[in-house]
Amino acid sequence: MKLAALTLNQKLAIVAVALGTLALFSVPHRGPVVTLDTRELAQIVEKEVDHVTPSELAGWIVQGRSDYRLVDLRTESDYAAYHIPTAENVTVAALPEFPFQRTEKIVLYSDGGIHAAQAWMLMQAQGYRAVYTVLGGLEGWKDDVLYPALPAQASAAERARFERAAALSRFFGGEPRAEGGAAVPATMELPKLAAPVPSGAVSPVAPRKKKKEGC
Amino acid sequence: MSSDYRPAAMPGSGRPASPYWNPYLAGIGLGLVLLAAFVLVGRGLGASGAFSSTVAWLVNLVAPAHAQSNEYLQGYLGDGTTHPLKAWLVFEVLGVMAGALFSGLLAGRARIAVEKGPRVSTALRLLCAFAGGILMAFGAHLARGCTSGQALTGGALLNLGSWAFMLMVFVGGYSVAWFMRWQWR
Amino acid sequence: MAPFYKYGFFGDEMSLVLAFVLGTGFGFFLERAGFGSARKLAAQFYLYDMSVFKVMFTAIVTAMLGVTYLGWLGWLDLSLVYLVPTHLVPQIVGGLVLGVGFVVGGYCPGTSVASLATGRIDGFVYAFGIGAGTLVYAEVFPWIKGFVNSNGMGQVTLPEVFDLPWGLVVFVVVLIAVAGFSAATLVERRFGDKA
Repeated sequence: MKLAALTLNQKLAIVAVALGTLALFSVPHRGPVVTLDTRELAQIVEKEVDHVTPSELAGWIVQGRSDYRLVDLRTESDYAAYHIPTAENVTVAALPEFPFQRTEKIVLYSDGGIHAAQAWMLMQAQGYRAVYTVLGGLEGWKDDVLYPALPAQASAAERARFERAAALSRFFGGEPRAEGGAAVPATMELPKLAAPVPSGAVSPVAPRKKKKEGC
Repeated sequence: MSSDYRPAAMPGSGRPASPYWNPYLAGIGLGLVLLAAFVLVGRGLGASGAFSSTVAWLVNLVAPAHAQSNEYLQGYLGDGTTHPLKAWLVFEVLGVMAGALFSGLLAGRARIAVEKGPRVSTALRLLCAFAGGILMAFGAHLARGCTSGQALTGGALLNLGSWAFMLMVFVGGYSVAWFMRWQWR
Repeated sequence: MAPFYKYGFFGDEMSLVLAFVLGTGFGFFLERAGFGSARKLAAQFYLYDMSVFKVMFTAIVTAMLGVTYLGWLGWLDLSLVYLVPTHLVPQIVGGLVLGVGFVVGGYCPGTSVASLATGRIDGFVYAFGIGAGTLVYAEVFPWIKGFVNSNGMGQVTLPEVFDLPWGLVVFVVVLIAVAGFSAATLVERRFGDKA
């Protein structure tokens, strides 16, 4: 049978079957194996643009900003005991399956910095670009936001900065440590979850989002 | 194909309406638009959601307290920070109107008319259209999508629910077709 | 890497502009196929014109092959394309009700928009009916909510359910479509003379 003798519909059918047959060998879903642009990642790490300082984060929470998602990577029991206000709990193990949007700004933290940094790498591998970690993790949050300390022989500028930090600290239910360290609590207890955030300033529940997808 | 239903001419245009396209070429065009939607925005085409947004918006205008307490409408109103009509499907459906009108004018098929068989009165045909719309709304909401959002979009993505749905649309249609033949033949 | 929107290449405003542009294409091809006319659409259920089946399955096969090849090339991340969650029983019931509504009214939501845009009064009344039905549905939703949300299986595809390779399912769908098209043409010849 000559090709020219076929009708348009028959030609289309042949093309469809040919493409369908070739598709037998296809692997359209991306597997767990990925390639990363290591130079680009090294640049990001070098320039430290992937960090959010605890004070910056505290500022965002006070302002009630909602253009980012704060993710607590620790275990559920740790999360229940204390977490930074507005954070949601996603353990590292659950992270690869968690349905984040690629366009979302995601801020990760764990106890120290290591888990968050490793999770950051996981997220990069999955193609998430707007991922940040809280500098120093929850430890950094305690030191800088909850229990800021005024250094001995502080300059006027340092004092002014401490006053601002102290206000922020009280907002989150912490306790600023003034000169001499007399007020340093022995154990640095974390504040009780129920008390710290004054209602009205930050809404603990996410706003009801409009249905965005589906028919 | 000799059996094709031929469109009627646009009155006063002085030229016959063009025949419809080869269904396979129209289908390829439709498939490429759908593929473009997947690639550009990561979602398929739809239609029924735009009706839901419009209804939610209208109810919110007339009885805001009622609309906001209704769980279904609330999903289309959101938290009030954006306009209910500022939704993807609303803009898409506006595009459908523009595209269909453009094609209809180009082919001389756009005209004020009622599509019906010769044996049925216009009033009865319109009553059926209204009743069919109500049924369609229920079916589409139960199934989480209509022929565009479920069958077409989900069909191409090999979505399990969409294929089950599509099969049942044909089953439902063929099972009542005989009883409704007076409307069309 | 696509989908471009989900990778943040453009924002919400641009996605709405694209919605309009994509909709224009959708409406254009619907009208080209003849789907602005209820008689053409209803003919599917009386077997003398199988255009609904032909156009729909051609579109499905085209887009399916498209996502398969783009995914294979690594240009499209299929996991980011929104999939309507499967609730089998509500979707089966919904499909039946919708099929009945299709034959009674002559349109589906998308085609009714195409028909009202080209001046069909029945298409306009039908669209009005969808609005009325949506209003009633919203009112009864609290009572049927349990049913609508039953049988939740999440976002699941045929290859996952039957544990088959994606490519094999694509191949089978293409074969069924092509065989279906020839069968549909034979059916049209058989029932066409009655039109």
